[in-house]
Amino acid sequence: MKYARVYFDDVKVGDELPPLVKGPIQQIQLTRYAGASGDFNPIHQDDEFAKAAGMGGVFAHGMLSMGFVGQVVTDWSGPAAVRKLSVRFAGLVRLKDTITCRGRVLAKSSKDVTHLVDLEVWAENQKGERVVTGKATVVLPPRE
Amino acid sequence: MPIQINKGVIGKESPPFVVTVERGKIKEFARALGDDNPLYLDDQVGQASEWGDVVAPPTFMTTFRDGADSGAFLRELGTDISRILHGEQEFEIFRPIRPGETFVCRSKVLDVYEKTGRSGPMAFVARETSVTDATNEIVAFVRHITVVRL
Repeated sequence: MKYARVYFDDVKVGDELPPLVKGPIQQIQLTRYAGASGDFNPIHQDDEFAKAAGMGGVFAHGMLSMGFVGQVVTDWSGPAAVRKLSVRFAGLVRLKDTITCRGRVLAKSSKDVTHLVDLEVWAENQKGERVVTGKATVVLPPRE
Repeated sequence: MPIQINKGVIGKESPPFVVTVERGKIKEFARALGDDNPLYLDDQVGQASEWGDVVAPPTFMTTFRDGADSGAFLRELGTDISRILHGEQEFEIFRPIRPGETFVCRSKVLDVYEKTGRSGPMAFVARETSVTDATNEIVAFVRHITVVRL
């Protein structure tokens, strides 16, 4: 069930998060993300500009893909649980691409009353190429 | 002829800037991601939560901009917007942020270094922004690596 509460005790190293599929990416989403984020770099809006810059055409904001990766985590942990989200942009996301975001539990640790879960997170395109790779740390509640 | 990057910017701190989180901006940002989580979008769900209000998505602090000419930094670096790519990004978040909160952001350039990759010579510009709240507590560090195609 989406947004079900996850408890620290129930999580095991190696567990996979439910995948999140986003897209196909459309120009209107890049325009909307530009307005929402304040990143108006024309390389994400103007195909001629992007070609002249040697990029072969428009591509998505890295931060849009990072937002998708954030969502695969928060759909599972809840939005307020994220303590760290760290990514490398490994490949360009193009118009019409479909992006699947995934995560896997790497480690669990507890310090006093804080229970942390480290995740490997990534996003891949429809060809299975990783376009974003990274890590996340979330704080989860214990069962009473 | 590759361009020359000005490494003199290493250690440079930008003037601090203040941001206030707007309720509508959180929702606009979540919707732009296509994320319909009710803890971002539904005020009643937010009020009933342990946070007492809606919260911002983890990457929301990317909207914290100083309003100054972002081209000025690129010019000082010796480049322009057509040559830059986003290399890496990190948010270290100590607590969720909510509408109406005001924060002070302080940015500095941590490092500038060059490497040659598959697509030729590139410069990497690492920056960090600290975000502090009204009680001067650190709420987050935002770390960012910009890649400049030389």
